[in-house]
Amino acid sequence: MNNEIREAVPGGQGEVMAHAVDACVHCGFCLPACPTYTLLGDEMDSPRGRIVLMKEVLEGGLSLADAAPHLDRCLGCQGCVTACPSGVPYGELITAFRGWSEPQRARSSLNRAKRSAILKILPAPRLFSVAARVGQFAKPLAPALPAALRAPLDLLPETVPPLQPSPPFTPARGARRGRVALLVGCAQQALAPNFNAATLRVLARNGIEVVVPEGQGCCGAAALHTGARAEALRLVRANLAAFNPGDYDAILSNAAGCGAGLKEYPAVLRGEQDEAQAHAFAARVMDLSEYLHGLLQAGELMPPLPASRPLKVAYHDACHLAHAQGVRAAPRALLRFIPGVTVLEVPEGDLCCGSAGTYNLEQPELATALGQRKAANILSTAPDLIASGNIGCHTQIQSHVRRAHSPVPVLHTLEVLDRAYRGEL
Amino acid sequence: MSSDLLRRLAPRQVLTSLAERRNYRYDAIQFGETPLAVVLPETTADVVAAVQVARAAGVPIVGRGAASGLSGGAAPAVPGLVISFTRMTALRVDPSRREARAQAGVVTLAVSDAARPHGLIYPPDPASLRTSTIGGNLAENAGGPMCFKYGVTGDYVRALQVVDAAGEVHELTRDAYDLAGLLIGSEGTLGLMTEATLRLVPPPRFTRTLMAHFPEVGACAEAVSQAIAAGAVPSKLEFMDRACTNAVEDYLGLGLPRAAEAVLLIDTDGDDLPTVEEERALVEAACAAAGGTVRRAGSDAEAAALWQARRSVSPALGRIRPQRMNEDIAVPRSALPDVVREIRALGDASPFTVVQFGHIGDGNLHPNILFDPRQDDSHAVHDLAHRIALVALRHGGVLSGEHGIGSMKRDFMRDAVDPVTLGALWTVKRALDPAGGLNPGKVLPEEVNG
Ligand SMILES: Cc1cc2nc3c(=O)[nH]c(=O)nc-3n(C[C@H](O)[C@H](O)[C@H](O)COP(=O)(O)OP(=O)(O)OC[C@H]3O[C@@H](n4cnc5c(N)ncnc54)[C@H](O)[C@@H]3O)c2cc1C
Ligand code: SF4
Ligand code: SF4
Repeated sequence: MNNEIREAVPGGQGEVMAHAVDACVHCGFCLPACPTYTLLGDEMDSPRGRIVLMKEVLEGGLSLADAAPHLDRCLGCQGCVTACPSGVPYGELITAFRGWSEPQRARSSLNRAKRSAILKILPAPRLFSVAARVGQFAKPLAPALPAALRAPLDLLPETVPPLQPSPPFTPARGARRGRVALLVGCAQQALAPNFNAATLRVLARNGIEVVVPEGQGCCGAAALHTGARAEALRLVRANLAAFNPGDYDAILSNAAGCGAGLKEYPAVLRGEQDEAQAHAFAARVMDLSEYLHGLLQAGELMPPLPASRPLKVAYHDACHLAHAQGVRAAPRALLRFIPGVTVLEVPEGDLCCGSAGTYNLEQPELATALGQRKAANILSTAPDLIASGNIGCHTQIQSHVRRAHSPVPVLHTLEVLDRAYRGEL
Repeated sequence: MSSDLLRRLAPRQVLTSLAERRNYRYDAIQFGETPLAVVLPETTADVVAAVQVARAAGVPIVGRGAASGLSGGAAPAVPGLVISFTRMTALRVDPSRREARAQAGVVTLAVSDAARPHGLIYPPDPASLRTSTIGGNLAENAGGPMCFKYGVTGDYVRALQVVDAAGEVHELTRDAYDLAGLLIGSEGTLGLMTEATLRLVPPPRFTRTLMAHFPEVGACAEAVSQAIAAGAVPSKLEFMDRACTNAVEDYLGLGLPRAAEAVLLIDTDGDDLPTVEEERALVEAACAAAGGTVRRAGSDAEAAALWQARRSVSPALGRIRPQRMNEDIAVPRSALPDVVREIRALGDASPFTVVQFGHIGDGNLHPNILFDPRQDDSHAVHDLAHRIALVALRHGGVLSGEHGIGSMKRDFMRDAVDPVTLGALWTVKRALDPAGGLNPGKVLPEEVNG
């Protein structure tokens, strides 16, 4: 698409955005992949429409205030990226655009306070844990609260487990075969500490020693995707300093959103002095399932014990795994590696579950519609178990599956594997 | 006009802000004028209301489906009202009559998806079938790989509900005066289609998929002519040249032969396996005789991957140059080898990348000129497109196999249609749309008016 973005926004982020807009031939192949287009059926809430909106705002032909409602509805799920044959890097475009536009937005002071509170609490496991506990007490009050406050409460699980910080070093069991660094995530530590515990056990059992480098923090994705670019840059640089890629075989994440965030560092720092460092770092980043799949393919993954009965596992593709990172085969192969497990494909599997980043808080209605649709699609396969590789999807699916009165357990792919190793599946 | 629209329609159906309206001025090839308002109808009555309001206000109307059109059809030539059918998605299958009744906004693939549990399919399969709407398919009389054996969209229409320029609703069948036939392929210039009754058929029981590649484009066309002359009726016969193969390979990485000058994809199908395989053998022999190398798809998955490759050609070309002038010629099969060679030569002699692909079994070719509007001279692009169109006409071909004339090829109509016939087309247009309010600036070139 013709554009004058490079002239309007000189520098690295202008280049990122112009390149994406150049590449779009407005063919519309991405429309059916977009959750908001699927729900709303209008062009402004489609990927193609949003690309046009961003282009026009950047060029000055349209005001940010006019375009913002439609851009805000974008989940950042990148379903459109998978669908686009022209290779438009939509994810980089919307992220860069949000960073560019956020400082210019007129937001109410209440809205600003809410956003900055979310951005403070999400990345801080201790704060999040406390907030979650407070929230739980507030849950019974929910019906009486305004929607803006009700949404976050709805999200909280039934019980908030105690915080379990991961040890800085976990030795390999038996012969050491590898050394990796783990990003432990932030909200995930508070909501589902077992994800990291299971991860450490599975890696150790396979002879991989795990370092949890000190000084690491939030991957920055939440800040970046809500347009808080300065905050995001601070977090990104802290992680670049904490992880020395040369020391590890891989830098692993077990949360699809964080993994995608880490892989995005080169685009975030395009045109900045630490761009090369970001490339070296991102080259080592892998989702945990990718890494274990590598071992599996090399014939080096320890076989788990068979499930105690034949198990049908519905695997949910987290957007940030399938679309943003292109990781689809690996988690399925790991699940199938467990004797007795059959992996089920979910109808409309490519459509986001509605819980991208802070979407539940910002767009509660659309998020709920998508969550219900996802739960119904998953349950239509009549699974014994639901697996996914992302904390956001996990909470969203669990909450909507429960609302649909289904008792089917929802687990992280790694928890399934961990249980199989322990003979508890 | 907006306040009148809001009086007759729900607020969610009327778009008036600049951000909304500016998003309804393009299709997959071109940007046009920003509409004055956009209506998203949910029922035929909504369409009637919108048409009546526009007519009373003297404002022209452009119908719009998924805007995947490749001739500028849904891009407004003048500011007016856009009626976008994307929320009219009701669909009902009647297996006993082998029919589907679909509202205009139903996505093409959804018809087949709904029919399949009943053991039926809807054959018309434009490469855009996951995105484009039945209304847009009807307006363009869309074809696809299956159309060589099974026919195009119009061949599957039993009845059509149409809202005319005055806002009257008509139920058209194919009897007596085949007015439905007249509306099909009229690109929104004669009426708005709101619902259609579509014919469904049982799928063939057996399908065999082949890929052949050739060291020269003309040889590929010769193989096609030979195979068909020998009596094969493949269900799909698709061609892509080297640039297309490479663009798709960059996107999907399927292991297509990058070095070949031309690749053919072929399906033979039917309910009788020996015949299906016999036809495949005929095609294989013709390809080999023309100097091609043949590969059979070993599995359904391999066949599906090859067809996904073909469907991705057009947008994958966007990776090479940001913009393209897209042709859609159809020529007699006997002329194919000469036509593809002449177009290749025109491309090689020009400063542009010219690529070719298409439903070669029908003689339907899509030569595309890839260019960068920032650097390239648009007159030179237009001139080359014109010369390519003339190659087709010189060999007894036509300007549009399936994508329509729209605004892109309107100027070339004078080369293709004699003045008397063009006059007749204008007479029809004036009879059905006296005020000229339906998709003005499309299909018929201006000067001949009168
Ligand atoms: C990558 C790609 C591949 C394609 N491959 C093919 C192919 O193989 N075969 C093929 O035939 N086409 C193909 N096309 C072209 C396009 O998809 C078809 O022309 C399709 O039928 C357009 O449908 P749409 O819903 O997108 O219509 P639009 O583009 O929205 O509209 C097309 C025309 O129809 C009119 N229109 C739309 N809806 C109505 C209605 N309800 N009533 C009256 N007029 C209406 C519009 O005014 C316009 O003139 C391809 C396009 C792309 C981008
Ligand atoms: S599929 Fe890609 S090129 Fe086509 S409109 Fe969507 S983003 Fe643009
Ligand atoms: S990222 Fe997801 S929600 Fe946003 S435009 Fe793409 S498909 Fe739609």
